[in-house]
Amino acid sequence: MFNCKDSIDALLPFLDGEMSAEDEAHLREHLNGCPPCVEFVRSYRETSGLCRKALVKSMPPEVAGRLKAFLRNKIESK
Amino acid sequence: MTQTSVEDDRELLARAQAGDMSAFESLVGRHEEKVYGLALRMTRSEADAAEIAQDTFLSAYQHLSEFRGEAAFGSWVHRIAANNALMRLRRQKVVDIVSDELDGPEFTDRGSLAEAPESDWSKRADDKIIEDELGRAIQAATDALPEGYREVFLLKDVEGLSYEEISEMVGISIPAVKSRLHRARLALREAIDAFYKEV
Repeated sequence: MFNCKDSIDALLPFLDGEMSAEDEAHLREHLNGCPPCVEFVRSYRETSGLCRKALVKSMPPEVAGRLKAFLRNKIESK
Repeated sequence: MTQTSVEDDRELLARAQAGDMSAFESLVGRHEEKVYGLALRMTRSEADAAEIAQDTFLSAYQHLSEFRGEAAFGSWVHRIAANNALMRLRRQKVVDIVSDELDGPEFTDRGSLAEAPESDWSKRADDKIIEDELGRAIQAATDALPEGYREVFLLKDVEGLSYEEISEMVGISIPAVKSRLHRARLALREAIDAFYKEV
């Protein structure tokens, strides 16, 4: 039987689908009786998507313009 | 990128390989945002990101004839950019701090969660001010990760590279990549949870 720590330690292989059947059964058994861990799994899953959204960076048009000019200059001088 | 876009890339690539500079420029235009974004997230320097984008596309141009198209052009330049960004960070000798400083959940002596997570992160997700503040909190939490953890998290969860690719690029084993990713996710989850508990 897993406790909360065992379950959280196993989250990455669990979400990657790389857990042994036996360990997965232990984890699911724990989750069935532990609402805080169910909440933890949900928020762990959500973390990557929230970070991806928050870390979007856009390229300023002047940087894109300098990139194009740089490449033309380098390529045409060959 | 959609299947149609990948096919468009293939057509542009074939023309670029035949010497059509405008086709190469179109490829650059289609992928520059992604390359620049990766470089800026990794280096946190606009000047470095601009140079990495230049180096990446110049390198892609110089090796166009060797590119056989087994992978998508976008994935190829993305990997070149990731390698360039990592090399630049290595040259700058960014110092790693010890991973013990990473936040994570706390447990009781019996291994139970010491504190229940915030029950619903999505309840204020439609509030623009909250969303902007959350974005800043996530940026700060990502910046605070030890460098080796930050790199792995960005490459896997933001840039979408595989464990194998990251292992090769960063020079650590796949289990080490997974361990760093998990610790980084836990620290970021903790930061987001703390943010939602405060708002």
